[in-house]
Amino acid sequence: MHKGVDCRLAMTQLWDFLDQELTEENMVAVRIHLEQCSACHPHAAFAQQFLTALSRCRCADPMPETLRTRVLDTLRNAGLMS
Amino acid sequence: MESGSQPVPSPVREDFDREVLAWMDDVYRFAMSLTRDASKAEDLVQETYLRAFRSWQTFQPGSDARRWLFTIARNAFLRGLERERHHVSLDDGDPDALGAIQHYAGLVTDGTDQLLSRVDLAPALTDAIGRLNEPFRSAVVLVDVEGQSYEEAAAVLEVPIGTVRSRLFRGRRQLQEMLAEYARDAGFAAARAPERGGDDA
Repeated sequence: MHKGVDCRLAMTQLWDFLDQELTEENMVAVRIHLEQCSACHPHAAFAQQFLTALSRCRCADPMPETLRTRVLDTLRNAGLMS
Repeated sequence: MESGSQPVPSPVREDFDREVLAWMDDVYRFAMSLTRDASKAEDLVQETYLRAFRSWQTFQPGSDARRWLFTIARNAFLRGLERERHHVSLDDGDPDALGAIQHYAGLVTDGTDQLLSRVDLAPALTDAIGRLNEPFRSAVVLVDVEGQSYEEAAAVLEVPIGTVRSRLFRGRRQLQEMLAEYARDAGFAAARAPERGGDDA
């Protein structure tokens, strides 16, 4: 099973692995390689930290308060009942 | 004869409120990532909701309203681009393993990784996302910021899953390069030695 995963394959599939987009079998195989390989482990840790930082960008662009009112006004004018 | 838009009955209005209006923050964030301009993003949100309202009866109850809104927003954005005759590059490229290994090795050894664990990077990364070119920016925003799966992002972008994957690969690579530059400027990473030319004189 995981014996087929070498460093090259682990790095090729790293994003799919971190995004949980691999099959269950391949998830296990790549995880085992990353846990055991001292060369790949820091790269995987870095990539995971990078994705975590990206996910925090959700909070960085708050919607202006006035926009909700503006959208609702537009919808009311288009026929949405208040 | 019909005379323009008809008022939407209350039960439908409640559905629209619950299913659609609740996602306005997410739609705005996505609109910001597309337009990179607050004023244009607000216009795009307004247009998205107007289109959503007008086609509300085509929405399948129980389906993903946020994805539906993202699709409407993106289509509205692309129509605007066509009007402005902007060209959108669709060069996706392919992931390559050896390049990825060398890339990661460089980032880890030059100290960029320290930045991730020690600094709130949301403002810098938001700025970096804004500097990504399409079509990479939309893929990164949908998957990495909005948490969509590859399949969901593919549906919004109307491309195969493999295309989402390769756009993510390229977009993330570009973001990491920008991050490395930021790390060097912030003193977290060593400046890379300039490449030597063929002439030492």
